[in-house]
Amino acid sequence: MPEPSGPGPSVPERPVPNPSVPNPPVREPPYPTELKPYGRALVDLARRRDEVLCLSGDLTRQCEVDLFQSELPERFIHGGMAEANMMSMAGALARCGHIPFVHTFGVFATRRPFDQIANAIAYPALPVRIVGFMPGISTPGGPSHQATDDVALMRALPGMTVVDVADAVEVRQVVGAVADVPGPVYIRLKRGEIPVIFGEGHVLRLGQAEVVVPGHDVALFASGMMLAAALAAARALGEHAVSVSVINVPTIKPLDTATVLGAATGAQIVVTAENHSVIGGLGSAVAETIAEAGLGRRLRRVGLRDTFAEGASTAPYLFGQYGLSTQALIETIWSTLGRPGPAPGAPPATAEPGEYAPV
Amino acid sequence: MTETVHLSSPGTRWAVPDPRELALRIRLRAVRMVAPHGFGYLGQALSSAEQVAAVFASARPGVDRLVCSPGHYVIGPFAAAAELGLLDEEAVAGYGQDGSPVEAIGTERSPVMDYTCGSLGQGLSAALGFALADRFRGSDARIFTMVSDGELEEGQVWEAALFAAHHHLDRLIVLLDANNSQVDGPVDSITTIEPIAAKWSAFGWHTQDLDGHDVDAVRAALAQAAAHAGQPSVLVCRTSTGHGLDCLPPDADGHFIKLPPALAAAAVAELTGKLEALRA
Repeated sequence: MPEPSGPGPSVPERPVPNPSVPNPPVREPPYPTELKPYGRALVDLARRRDEVLCLSGDLTRQCEVDLFQSELPERFIHGGMAEANMMSMAGALARCGHIPFVHTFGVFATRRPFDQIANAIAYPALPVRIVGFMPGISTPGGPSHQATDDVALMRALPGMTVVDVADAVEVRQVVGAVADVPGPVYIRLKRGEIPVIFGEGHVLRLGQAEVVVPGHDVALFASGMMLAAALAAARALGEHAVSVSVINVPTIKPLDTATVLGAATGAQIVVTAENHSVIGGLGSAVAETIAEAGLGRRLRRVGLRDTFAEGASTAPYLFGQYGLSTQALIETIWSTLGRPGPAPGAPPATAEPGEYAPV
Repeated sequence: MTETVHLSSPGTRWAVPDPRELALRIRLRAVRMVAPHGFGYLGQALSSAEQVAAVFASARPGVDRLVCSPGHYVIGPFAAAAELGLLDEEAVAGYGQDGSPVEAIGTERSPVMDYTCGSLGQGLSAALGFALADRFRGSDARIFTMVSDGELEEGQVWEAALFAAHHHLDRLIVLLDANNSQVDGPVDSITTIEPIAAKWSAFGWHTQDLDGHDVDAVRAALAQAAAHAGQPSVLVCRTSTGHGLDCLPPDADGHFIKLPPALAAAAVAELTGKLEALRA
């Protein structure tokens, strides 16, 4: 296929990860929130990088790219309700030197156009950024609108980078962080109000997992929306003499196996927490890693247990009903460790308007 | 194998003195490519030979693009490229062989085309991406896009058709090979896709319906399409998977023709004779 030609690269402006400088500690809940950090970050990147294009599948405001449409209309493309066509077009645009960011809900971004992503984007290893909003059961819109297998689908594609960031600081940084990844990237993003979990000066290190809380009994791996619940569970268990290490895993593929194995080796049990099916996502990736390393650790995967999620008017109801709550994490860890008596209770999820606390 | 070239690669050069002769040579070359296997996608080359010859005669080397949406059709462009010196003999000899980049169903490694895909119905969308990219950079490159009639059963083709017309992508020219052939049999026995031309017209395309084996007619239609502003163009090329090879049995499976040695020898003799007659 032809070599890409077209707009040349410019210097990206983003925090440069420095491994010798540790990230600051995480904040205490309830967390402040930020509204739509993604939309501004994409416009900022596009102003620095002429190659960046914005495609939207009839969910422009919902995917927070209405700002891009109004500020850079000449580089905004309405794909309409035609995801297959949109993905194949994005591949061809990337062949010509553009960096297309393609937006729709995660469920429509992955299930419907899977074959197009495989053939037109992943196989030619093109720098298309697929941005899927409303991960997992963050929407009460029913199984048709819930991206509960998107990570599994995208992870199966050769060369696809899969990212599930946890907070507004990382949302802002992920846009610049993926700009120069040579191949395709899938990013799943929560909509709207995003908690600010990480402190001032936090730097997202793409491709790395990060121990955000140290501990020695349990290695608790979390991605995306489950990080807040993991931190809450660790805190509650810590008050009952269970030492939990919390590892944030924003990049599910390629998995930072060194950090995963390091954390797992230092713990009695391994637990994963993902807003996704337990089949094919973070839990599977961690399981494969520790099994292939011959590491004998008890593993529990917290996530959707091979089910669709029905019947809700609110997301918190779904997180509770389907076992993705802080309490579910605490109980899983408590029982797997064989601790006697009932598991401790999760802290009450109290958040004022403008604040965020996990279920 | 020499460096991989595509029609739009800068510096690519070729010339087609006689498109009728090129169509014949595409058929003969395709027979020779399929013969070592005893079967293959010969019908696709037979039905599209004039379209491929007309594209090579019309395209501006190093500028215009060729998209071959159905990956099973790459044999035609491969054969043309071999006859025009764009693909060396060693590469052509590897067609469909173990370890060769010249696979029988187009892949990312396929030379000649700017885009192809074995999963059907996706090429037109890629052509739209090229058209948008060309518009961004102010290029007037034409995008010749081969599409098969069976692909019209895929919904994505119609998603792409809507998008192209809405955005007035008038550098886009589809050569629709209406050979009435798909794996399970004649297209019209499986799905009614007619009236094909009226459908594209209704979708906002500049439409021509013509004999796809009349190479002069295809060339003239391409010229008219290239001159047409404001709308993408489609040539509905009426063809047959056995055209130009009389020795094929009438019940040959057009999607995947069996070509045992005796039949291959007869086909070579027939086409060589036709070529000599044309040149005489």
